[in-house]
Amino acid sequence: MIEAQHLTKRYGKTVAVDEASFAVRPGRVTGFLGPNGAGKSTTMRMILGLDTPSSGSVLVNGKPYRELTDPLRSVGALLDAKAIIGGRSAASHLAWLADSNGIARRRVTEVLELVGLSDVAGKRVGTFSLGMNQRLGIAAALLGDPETVMFDEPINGLDPDGILWIRNLMKSLAAQGRTVFLSSHLMSEMAQTADHLLVIARGRIIADASTDEFVNRNSTPSVRVRARQPADLAAALTRRGALVERCPDGAMIVTGLDSAAIGGAASAHDITLLELAAHGASLEEAFFELTRDETDYHAGQLAGTSQGA
Amino acid sequence: MSATTYTSTPARPARATLISRTLKAEWTKLRTLPSTWRTAALTLAMGIGFGVAVAFSEVSQWHTMTAQQRQVFDPASASMSGVMIAAVVLGALAVRTVTAEYSTGMIRSTFSAMPARRLVLAAKAAIAAAFAFPVTLLGNVAGFELGQRIFAGQHAAVAIGHPGVLRAMFFGAVAVSLVAVIGVGIGGLIRHTAGAATILSLIIIGGLTVGQFLPAGWRQYMPGIATQAAVTVHRSAGLLRPGTAIVVLAVYAAIALGAAAMRVAHRDA
Repeated sequence: MIEAQHLTKRYGKTVAVDEASFAVRPGRVTGFLGPNGAGKSTTMRMILGLDTPSSGSVLVNGKPYRELTDPLRSVGALLDAKAIIGGRSAASHLAWLADSNGIARRRVTEVLELVGLSDVAGKRVGTFSLGMNQRLGIAAALLGDPETVMFDEPINGLDPDGILWIRNLMKSLAAQGRTVFLSSHLMSEMAQTADHLLVIARGRIIADASTDEFVNRNSTPSVRVRARQPADLAAALTRRGALVERCPDGAMIVTGLDSAAIGGAASAHDITLLELAAHGASLEEAFFELTRDETDYHAGQLAGTSQGA
Repeated sequence: MSATTYTSTPARPARATLISRTLKAEWTKLRTLPSTWRTAALTLAMGIGFGVAVAFSEVSQWHTMTAQQRQVFDPASASMSGVMIAAVVLGALAVRTVTAEYSTGMIRSTFSAMPARRLVLAAKAAIAAAFAFPVTLLGNVAGFELGQRIFAGQHAAVAIGHPGVLRAMFFGAVAVSLVAVIGVGIGGLIRHTAGAATILSLIIIGGLTVGQFLPAGWRQYMPGIATQAAVTVHRSAGLLRPGTAIVVLAVYAAIALGAAAMRVAHRDA
């Protein structure tokens, strides 16, 4: 469980994280979605007590991180897989982490096996590929069998097998009742992994909703249609209240009517359809929709403050 | 009068447990880096070699020395000249225990696992000092034994039981341990390996070069000169008494580590 209250981080005049209030709950995968530079990593560093908030607070399992007893047993985190000294072996890297929190050394063997690095346990970390480093970082995060796990862009540098593996791992950790917090700038990945989304843009949390709810609320399903008599069809659909957008290839993107209604309209007017394809709403679309609103909101809010209060 | 307090949170591990875990983690870090052991071997080879070279050089000049020069000659100190090498090389090793973590970003793993940052820095200093001590002591003993064989030809050798010899061996190791603590402190302040190692080398070796231009009374307080003074057996002009030299180095170590602890504790990692 992670709870942030008005969490803010300023660097000089730049606001990296702006009054973020949210809760990351156990039992599900919460995706932390936002473009690069939106404030995801800064937020995660504040959660771990590495960076001090300019104002506001964040609690992990009810306490500020720095006050946790044996923090690795409560929270496991992977921030940057490459941030590791190359001279040690994978097993030695995990060994010092285990020693620091009074974790039994046999856990080192267990987590190396879990992430599939047993064969290279004695090899220098400096010889590892990025994917192997990611796996080692995940092993380190799981070392203390923590209630809360947090991963910053964990699929960077992984091959498709690795991505699938991480996705399943995240889901199984959540299914065990753990709090799983996962950042990414890749929306397609989030759509497949996260049950719940926290969306951040320019340091502000702009959405906190289940993935399905987020997509449904912020995007409209559309239908792509091509007809032998496009002008007639467009006119017929517009009369029925649809919004029709013409594409350069002659197709139309229709919103406001579903495939059945479009087909009905076409047959009523003896129009021959060449193509009729429904497009589900996508997270990507929803995200862009929402960030566009965010820009408007900013402008509106500025205008409002001069009059208000 | 008694009061009972109920808390919903589990008890923190005792302070002693926290300290021993931090020390253990830092020791595991140091010993599992192969470069640590290469550095120790290098320190011994270079340090002993330097002591032997100094001994041969003194012997070759023996016939040109006056009776008075021969009388104040300190064969024990000369054979332990390698202590300066140990100070530079093991000091740089101590610097790296901090700066290598900052430059790779691994310091974030360290401070996530051990949020008591000042304790981490103190543990790094303690481990670096504890590592430097036996390595330097071994170098001192070996340098002394080899050096005295060279001096024996001029009947200038002293026995290990000679008053002050064991103290010099021991104080030399203490001095280098304190230089290691200074190294950890400078590492925490500068954070970059090259910069911090250069500054440490300058304050040790620089005392021998730049220090020449300082008034004699100041020069003896330079860390490098104080390290040299720690291995002396005879009282020597321009050098502190060995005990005073150790106190001076301890003060530098406390200042460097204290300043680094304040900086590391309050900065974003």
